Amino acid sequence: MPHGTIFPATVGRGRPSSIGGEAETAEEAVRGGDGGSVRSKVSENAVIVFGKHGCCMCHVVKRLLLVLGVNPAVFEVNDDDEAEVFAELSAIVGGIDDGGPQLPAVFVGGKLFGGLDRVMSTHITGELVPILKKAGALWL
Amino acid sequence: MWGLLGFVHSRGVFNCILLQNLFDYVEELALVTYVVSDLSFVSSRIFTLHLFRTAFYKCNPNHSDNDLSDYLTISPESMNTSSTQYVTTRTMGMYEPIHHIGMWGENFKTNGCLTTSPSTILEDDTKLDNQSEDTSHGTPESKPVDKIQRRLVQNREAARKSRLRKKAYIQQLETSRLKLIQIESELERARQQGVYVGGGLDGSSLGFPGAVNSGIATFEMEYGHWVDEQNRQVCELRTALHAHITDVDLRILVDNGMTHYFDLFRMKASAAKADVFYLMSGMWRTSAERFFLWIGGFRPSELLKVLVTQLDPLTDQQLLDVCNLKQSCQQAEDALSQGMDRLQQILTETIAGGQLGEGSYISQMSNAIEKLDALVSFVNQADHLRQETLQQMSRILTIRQAARGLLALGEYFQRLRALSSLWATRPCKPA
Repeated sequence: MPHGTIFPATVGRGRPSSIGGEAETAEEAVRGGDGGSVRSKVSENAVIVFGKHGCCMCHVVKRLLLVLGVNPAVFEVNDDDEAEVFAELSAIVGGIDDGGPQLPAVFVGGKLFGGLDRVMSTHITGELVPILKKAGALWL
Repeated sequence: MWGLLGFVHSRGVFNCILLQNLFDYVEELALVTYVVSDLSFVSSRIFTLHLFRTAFYKCNPNHSDNDLSDYLTISPESMNTSSTQYVTTRTMGMYEPIHHIGMWGENFKTNGCLTTSPSTILEDDTKLDNQSEDTSHGTPESKPVDKIQRRLVQNREAARKSRLRKKAYIQQLETSRLKLIQIESELERARQQGVYVGGGLDGSSLGFPGAVNSGIATFEMEYGHWVDEQNRQVCELRTALHAHITDVDLRILVDNGMTHYFDLFRMKASAAKADVFYLMSGMWRTSAERFFLWIGGFRPSELLKVLVTQLDPLTDQQLLDVCNLKQSCQQAEDALSQGMDRLQQILTETIAGGQLGEGSYISQMSNAIEKLDALVSFVNQADHLRQETLQQMSRILTIRQAARGLLALGEYFQRLRALSSLWATRPCKPA
């Protein structure tokens, strides 16, 4: 059974945890420290979701992927290192200098998959599950 | 009124007899009336109105003034016409007495014009005066008689003036009441159709129109056109399917139908930017549609359930595909709903941040406003889901099935709107 990669939370993350979000503890959300970690996280995880802290759309993506049986890694972007993370993501994506992909951004199999829009449409058409399986995020 | 009766009495025995007959009749109506001479046509009109009022309430104790106005067709003009036109034939029970009173009135009128100038009335009055003065003309006893006559004339004039004032006041009241009823019903109708009457107004309270958001006003107007166009397309589909047109032609209709829905989603996206709360409230939709509201519209999975039963026969593959689609829809809806719950949670925390009770909350407000932007995204995502579901259905179905599906969906919405109208015009139970 695939499980999300565990990233230990760094010190200084003083945000209050959400009340009643028992599913939150199942996924390990972290802040990115250095720029290199972004690239490594993307390549290490079959599915990783980048989202701003407290973003509800990010929550939607997570819930949907969970329902499918995927336990995605989540990278919470804070205001402080926003620019840094965006720069890294742009580099990964392929150098389109537009400030980085729009968040929330889902990477599947090390490549940018898209935002909530794409996740929704591929889910409805039935394309999402095969893609996830191919990337090794789903084993069934 | 008793002064007038006195005047009538002085006219002679004939009037007394008439008065007595009238008393007998009017006893039924539990109201004392009077009949004065021809020139008091004016007063008989006012009195007819009063009679009708009292008789109406006697026979319809549970009715309100509104009902009374419903039955009355009073207008300044109608006051000039025969008193039999005061009442519509809806109240047959009322019609007879009024007709009788009208006849009494008719018997005693000379010219029927209510707008008879006071001078004319005065003229008639002086004629009477002359008649009665003729008998006492030239005699030494005429002085005290003259005094009495003068007093009677003064009484008469005072009474006439008061009658005219009363008439004018009643006229004013009646027209104002009718106008109020008219305005209230228009407003109710407009509210039922979800007309936007201003920002801080919810559907249940009646308030004055505030500053209208132009983006919303545009949306309201466009949505009205959209509904009209949809109704037209539904008719077109119905005829086309019965006429067995070719698949090529049917495809054009289906594409039009699909594009029409996509137009709606586009309109909603603009409206969401203008005022997302308004869109989410569903005030632009009818009341029955609002009952099914989920993030600014219908749940795609619910609509699929409606459609599937209408689309028989489906092949096994189609059935499987539709089943999968329904499940995917439901999963996506759940994810969005949970996202909405999360947003509510965050918003509550933001608004309630700090100490509640301090009385100052500017920072909380500015934080909260930022969070509200997410609502726009939710509406957009929900509409995106609806659009994707529609498109996937069109891929699963044949052209003919898709046409039937669009027709079924269109009529389903029509039925919901009809239900809303019925609900709006349902008879109110007595208080």
